[in-house]
Amino acid sequence: MMQVTRLDEVDPDWAWQPWEPSAQEPWDRKRAALLLRRSGFGATESEIQAALQKSPAASIEQMLQTEGEATEQFEVESADLAASLVAGGEAKSLSIWWLHRMLHHPQQLVEKMTLFWHGHFATGAEKVLDPGLMLDQNKLLRKHAFGDFRAMVHGIAKDPAMLIYLDSVTNRKAHPNENFARELMELFCIGEGNYTEADVQQLARCFTGWEIRRKNFRFNPYQHDSGLKDVLGTEIETGEAAIDTVLSHKKVPYFIVRKLFHFFIGDEPSPTDALLRPLADQFASDGLVLEGMIKKLLGSRLMLSNWSMARKVRSPVEMAIGLMRTMQMTSNLDQLSNRLREVGQALFFPPNVKGWDGGRAWVNSSTLVGRANLIYQLIRDDKTRFANGSFSDWLQSQKLSDPDAFLDWFSTMFLAVPISDSQRMSLRSSQDGKSEDRMFREMICLMAAMPQFQLS
Amino acid sequence: MKRPSASRRQFLGGSLAASAGLAIGSPVPGPWMQALASDAVGGERILVVIQFSGGNDGLNTVIPYSNEEYRKARPKLAIPKNDVLKIDDELGLHPSLAGASKLLERGRFSIVQGVGYASPNRSHFESMDIWHSCRRKEERGTDGWLGRWIGSRASDKQTDSLGLHLGGDQQPLALAARGVQVPSIASVDQFRLKIADEGMSGNAMLSNKSTDTETKSDGDDLLGFLQASTEAAVAASERLEKALKTPDTQSEFPQTDLGEKLRVISRLILAGLSTRVYYITLDGFDTHSQQAVAHAGLLRHWSDALDAFVRRMERAGQADRVLVMTFSEFGRRVQENASEGTDHGAAAPVFFAGCSLPKPVIGELPSLTDLDDGDLKFHTDFRSVYATVVEQWFKDKSKQVLGESYPKINLL
Repeated sequence: MMQVTRLDEVDPDWAWQPWEPSAQEPWDRKRAALLLRRSGFGATESEIQAALQKSPAASIEQMLQTEGEATEQFEVESADLAASLVAGGEAKSLSIWWLHRMLHHPQQLVEKMTLFWHGHFATGAEKVLDPGLMLDQNKLLRKHAFGDFRAMVHGIAKDPAMLIYLDSVTNRKAHPNENFARELMELFCIGEGNYTEADVQQLARCFTGWEIRRKNFRFNPYQHDSGLKDVLGTEIETGEAAIDTVLSHKKVPYFIVRKLFHFFIGDEPSPTDALLRPLADQFASDGLVLEGMIKKLLGSRLMLSNWSMARKVRSPVEMAIGLMRTMQMTSNLDQLSNRLREVGQALFFPPNVKGWDGGRAWVNSSTLVGRANLIYQLIRDDKTRFANGSFSDWLQSQKLSDPDAFLDWFSTMFLAVPISDSQRMSLRSSQDGKSEDRMFREMICLMAAMPQFQLS
Repeated sequence: MKRPSASRRQFLGGSLAASAGLAIGSPVPGPWMQALASDAVGGERILVVIQFSGGNDGLNTVIPYSNEEYRKARPKLAIPKNDVLKIDDELGLHPSLAGASKLLERGRFSIVQGVGYASPNRSHFESMDIWHSCRRKEERGTDGWLGRWIGSRASDKQTDSLGLHLGGDQQPLALAARGVQVPSIASVDQFRLKIADEGMSGNAMLSNKSTDTETKSDGDDLLGFLQASTEAAVAASERLEKALKTPDTQSEFPQTDLGEKLRVISRLILAGLSTRVYYITLDGFDTHSQQAVAHAGLLRHWSDALDAFVRRMERAGQADRVLVMTFSEFGRRVQENASEGTDHGAAAPVFFAGCSLPKPVIGELPSLTDLDDGDLKFHTDFRSVYATVVEQWFKDKSKQVLGESYPKINLL
C-alpha cells in the first residue's frame, strides 16, 4: 500500500489503477462522501449508505446511467420548468432550471460533467441574450457530457450561442474574424503555446461564412474563403477539416485530461504529463471518447487516496447545492441563483470565454463574506425546508438533536478537514440558552465562515 | 501559544479575540491586524490602477488624425478629423474623452505611446498575465509586480492593507503576493458578515489548528490560504465599515460601475486609509465586431469617472499624492476587420492622470507601415513604465519588483 504525500513522486502506473480499500484507507462514510461530492454535488446519509454497499466503481457506473423510471419522470418535470423559463425570455432565470437539476437529478455525474463543459466551452448569456439558445447549448453539452469529445467540438463550432458569443457570425471572406479560431486552439482543444499566430489566422479563414439564419447554423458559400489553408502544418480547406486537424494535435488528450484532473481531484499542484499519460493514452486510444477515461479517473487510487482530501476549493454552486443535498434541503432557487452570482458563479454567465478558473480564484475577501452570508440567507429563508419538513423535525428523524452528534455527522459528511477542538468550543459556547432550532441554524451559519467549509 | 498583541485585541474587540483562539502563526497581514491609526489624511503617495480588459484600441483612443495610413487602415472606424479633441498637429483624443482632455489641459493627464514587449502574445489571458507578473509563462511564479512591491513593504508600520482590489471579478494576478493576502471587495455595501448582526463574529471560526488535521506535503496548502484569506476578509470588513461611516456630500461621480468604484476609492483615501495601491477593472474592450459605439461608451465611462475622481482629489488638496495608471493587455490590429471591429494587436498607449504631469505625450506613435505581423511595434517596454512608477512615484528600488533594471521614462 502506497501513501501519497507529494504529487510529483506518484508513480503513473500506480495512480490510475482501480482503488481498493486498505487499513489506512477504508471504504467508509468519509471516503464515500468524498467520491459523491466530487463526482456529483454531495449526498444524503442514505445515498452514502447505499454507496457503501457496493464498490466505488459500481457507484460510478450507476451515476452514468441515463435511463430508468426515476430519470424519465424527472426529465418530464425538468422539461416543463425549462419551457416556462425560456418563455419568460430571461437567460438569467434559466439557472433556476439547472440548479433544480443539480439538486434533484438522480444521475449526478451527468450534471457535474455538464457544468465542467459549460466552464470549458464558456459562453455568456450577456452577449447571446436568447435563453432558448443558451438552453440548446446546455443540452448539446449534456448530450456529449461523457461521450465523444470530437462530436462535441464539431457541435459547439456550429452552436448558435457559441457563434454569437465568439463573433463567428460576422466572420467574412474579406476579413476573417479570429476570435473563435483562437479560442478553439487556446481554450477548447490544445492550450496556449502550442501553435503560432499564423495558425490562428489560417484557421480563421476556414470558418469564414459560418453564419446563423433564423437561430440555426447556416453555411454561406459566398462569404467562405475556399482557398487552401495551412493549419498546424496540414493543408485543408473546410471548417470541419480544420476541427479534425486541431483535434489530431498530440496535446489534445493531455489538455483535456489535465483540466479534468483539476476539476475532480485537486486544484494544485499541476500534474506532470508523465503522471497524466495513462489517462491521456486511454482517451486517445478510445478515439477521444470520454467515458472510459473518466471512469478510470474517478475510480482510481489517486482520486480516492487521502491525498485528494481537501485538495479542492468548493465552487459556490458545489458549496450551496452540496449543503442542500446533504441536508435534504429545498428552497427558493431564484434567490439562490442571485446569491450565487454575487459570490462569483452565475450559471450561463461565466466571467469570460476562459470560464471559471476555480481553485484559489474562487476566494477573496468579498466571496468569503458573501459565502457565509449566502448560507445565512439560505438557512434563514422561510421557503427552506428539510426533507419537506421543519429543521427540528428533520434533526429528530436523523437522530441528530444532540449538538455534538450533529457536528460529528456534519464533519464526516460535508467537511474534508474536521472541526478543531477550539472551533467546536466556539460553536458550542455561543449557543447557551437558545432554542434548539435557532442553535442549530446558528451553528451552520458560523460553520460557513470556517476556512474548511470552503474545501471539498 | 502566542497571545494576540494588545493593539490587535483592541482592533478585534477584546473578548472576542481572547475567546476565539485566533489563528496563530498564519501568514497573514499584520497590517490589518494593527490598531487603527488616526483618521487624519496621511501623506503617502497612492497609485490607482485601472485595467482595460479585452485589449483597448489605442489607435482609436489617441488618434493620429492627420495620418493618411490611419484612414486607409480604418475605412469604417477612423474617427473624422473634425471630431477629435486635438492635442497637437498630429494627435487628438477620441471625442468621448472630454474629461481626459480637460485634465490634459490642466497638466494632469499624460499619454505614454508605443508600450508593449518583445514577441507579443495575442492571447488575452497570456498577455494579461505577462503584464501582471512581468514574466513569460515558462518562468511565471505565483506573484505579481504590485504584490512583490507590497511584499517588499511588508515591514512598514501600516494600519491598513497596502493593496486593495475593488470589483466582483477575480483578484488580479498583479496583486498576488507571497505571505500577504490583499483583499478583493466586490461591493462595500454587502461586505459585512450577516452573522455579525446577531452579535457573532466570523473571527470565532478562524482557528483550525486541529490535532487531527492530516499532514499536507505539497507546498502551500489550501487550508492555510483559506485561513489567511478569511482573517483578511474579517479585518477588512470591519475597517471599511468604519471608514465609510461618514457620507461624502461633495462628490459628483457618474452613475457607472467605474464611477462608483472611483467614488469609493476617493472616500477611502479621504477617510485616511493607509492603503497605497487600489486596483479596478473596466471590461469590454475586446471589440471584434461593431466596435464604434461600444468603444465610445467605454472611453466615456472611463474619462468621465477619471475626471470626477481627479477633481475630487483636487478639491481635497490631495491630487498631488495620487497617480492613476490605465493600461490594457494589448492594443488592436492596425487594419480593421470586416465586422466593423478590430482583432488582437500589440503595442498601445498607457495613460496617467492625477498628480502634476508636465508632458501630455511621451514617446512617438509607432509607425503605421512598419508593422509586426499587422500590429504596431513597441518602443517602450511596459516594465520601463512600471520601473518609473516604483522608483519615481513610490521612491523604491524597482529591481526586486521587476527582476531586472529598466530605463525610466520621462513621466513626472
